[in-house]
Formats: sequence, structure tokens, C-alpha cells
Amino acid sequence: MATKSVSFDFVKGLWQENPVSRQLLGMCSTLAITNAVINGIAMGLAVSFVLIFSSFLISLFRKLIPSQVRIGSFIVIIATFVTIADRFMAAYFPPLSKSLGPYVPLIVVNCIILGRAEAFDSKNTVGRSLVDAFGMSIGYILALLILSAIREILGNGTIFGYQVLGTWYEPWIVMILPPGAFITLGILIALANQIERKAKQRR
Amino acid sequence: MTLSSRMIVVLTSIGVLSGAFLVSVGILTKERIVLNKQREIETAITAVVPGTRTSQKLYEEKDFSVYSGEDEQGHLLGFALNASAAGFQDKILFMIGIDPDLTRISSLYVLDQKETPGLGAKITDRESFLVFWENKKISEPLKLRKPPAASPDELLPYEVNTISGATVSSEAVLSAVNISVEKLRKLKEEGKLNSKGRDGN
Repeated sequence: MATKSVSFDFVKGLWQENPVSRQLLGMCSTLAITNAVINGIAMGLAVSFVLIFSSFLISLFRKLIPSQVRIGSFIVIIATFVTIADRFMAAYFPPLSKSLGPYVPLIVVNCIILGRAEAFDSKNTVGRSLVDAFGMSIGYILALLILSAIREILGNGTIFGYQVLGTWYEPWIVMILPPGAFITLGILIALANQIERKAKQRR
Repeated sequence: MTLSSRMIVVLTSIGVLSGAFLVSVGILTKERIVLNKQREIETAITAVVPGTRTSQKLYEEKDFSVYSGEDEQGHLLGFALNASAAGFQDKILFMIGIDPDLTRISSLYVLDQKETPGLGAKITDRESFLVFWENKKISEPLKLRKPPAASPDELLPYEVNTISGATVSSEAVLSAVNISVEKLRKLKEEGKLNSKGRDGN
């Protein structure tokens, strides 16, 4: 990986190593909160905030932190930013904070962030870690956006709370319930795998 | 420095620094978070006791509190009860509006709920649930109407509607309302609903 370029550090998060569709990390919150687009975006932004800042600090201090206590140190750093995101949301976006419920504090144990800290930030420079964090964040937001848009449209007939399907449409309530999350995610991952396979054959 | 002392120093300083940082974040946001909660309660009181300008907390216990809704002159317009019901998933928190003489429920307002979307979550919806709770007599306990009535006019004075497919949520709200009304009545009889600056009722 060390030979790969900076642009690859960024782009890989969007598709090849997309945290949701390729690495299957952070599934708990991905499945739980994508019942409305606004929730998906809020969660995506909260995770991005934590990921970017913790990547910066972890890569900055990577040589100071002894490897025996690295996981503990990473978790404390991550938890700090998660708490900031949680308090900020409760103070300035109370309805969002309410609808995301416990899933904001649970970002602490989101494997995307700890995974990047362990696999990338602890071995690479601050610059590359930031590029990687931005790529992963955008990949995560895109995945949540697609997932939550499909679920909100089919499950509620709305997008961002606005009615897009007419009154003729009987919402598939299952889509905003947990089974809808599994079904949609499964289909999306299958699609991503299919596209990847086709692309490989052509190469 | 030996490895073990380095481990201690690094982890301790990370902990101390983030702790200090979080304390300041906590102080900065605390005021706003408290204000948000207060504003939410005020919105709910105004919704269930229309015309409310000021309100005071008259009584409080765990999961139950009583607010007064008053106009500009401080005349009592009604009581707002903050009650909670054991819903299907989690507590349902809501506000019940009751007139000063405890004869009628004016309306309900749901503050927080985690019921099933599309089923129990309809308790927040005016057309399919809340409208069936407006202007209900409470001189005797309310009962659920099964199967649900199509319009509020079909209900008897002591009847409220069930949400089809979400009997648990409907029953939870109903029993919480009946219990809260009883509690309020008792508090009023015992003269525990006193507050300063209000003419008696």
C-alpha cells in the first residue's frame, strides 16, 4: 500500500474499500439509523467529524504512543470527539439528537473509526491519514445516503420528509423497520459485488 | 524512560487532556441543552392548554409532573400533566391538557416515543390518533373503543380510539391517562396544587 499515490488514499474509500459496501464495518448504526435520509446524513456527518479529527490526532501522536497502550489511547481520543459531537447535536439540533438516540454515543465503538486508526493512521503520516479519513467519510456518507433514500422512499413515500410518491402509494412499512434495513443493505452489497466482478472481467 | 512508565505517562496525559477538554465542552453546551428541554415542555403546555402565556410547575414526582397553564393576568386556563406510559419499545412521554375543573381532557401531545414506525408511532399523528382524544369527559375512566371508530363523532363521551395493529401503544396511553387524571384529582383534593401569584380556584 505504501507505493500507492495520495489520490488512491482518497479514492479507495469511495468504492474499492468503501467502509459499508466493501469492508462491512459499522453495520449496527448503518442498519439502525437509515430509516430517514436526514438521519443518514446526520449520522454520516457525525462519524466523519469523529473520524477526521481522531485520524489527525492519532497519526500526529503515532510515534509517541507505545503500541501496548495504543488501543486504549485510540479509544479515549475517539470517545472525546464522539462526546463533543453528541453534546453539540443535543444543544443545537435537538430533534436530530432525539431521533438518533443512543447511536451517536455508540460511534465510540464504530469499527470504521477504530479500524482506520489501527490499520492506517498508526502507520502513516498526518497528511495521508487525513486524506484517507476524508475518503472514508465520503464513502460512508454516500453509502448511508443511498441506503436511507431507498428506505425512506419505499417505506414512507417521502424524502427529507417531503412527499414524493402520491397518495396512491401504500408505503412498505417493512422498509423502515429493521428487516428493510437488512434487505436493502443485502441487495446493495450484492449489486456492488456484481459491478466489481464485471469491472474485473473487463480489466 | 522505561516502557511501563512511558505507557503510564502517555495514557494518563491523553486521559487528562481529553477530560479537561470535555469539561469545557460540557460547560459550553449545558445551558443550551437545558434550555431546549424547557422550550420543548413549554411548547407542549401551550399545545394542550391553548392560550397559555405563563406556566408554573405545581407538582413533581418520578415520571409525573403537573404544570399550570395561565393567561396574561395569571388566571388558570388548565393543567398540563407530563405523564409517561410503558409503550411497546420504550417509555412514551406525553402531555395531557385538562381544564381547571377537571371535567375534560382538552388534548394530548406526545413528547417522546419509540413505538414501531407505521403502527404504534401513529400516536403522534393527529388525524389517526390524537383527534380521538380531544374534549373527552373524564368524570369516569376512559375506555378503548374496539374496533376503532372512523370519526371522533362516533365515539361515546368516555371512549377513545384504538390504533388497529397497535393495541399495546393505545392501551399504554389510555391507562397512563386514567392514572394521571386520578393522581391530579387526588392532588387537587389534598390541596397540593399550590403556587404563588395565582388566584385560587
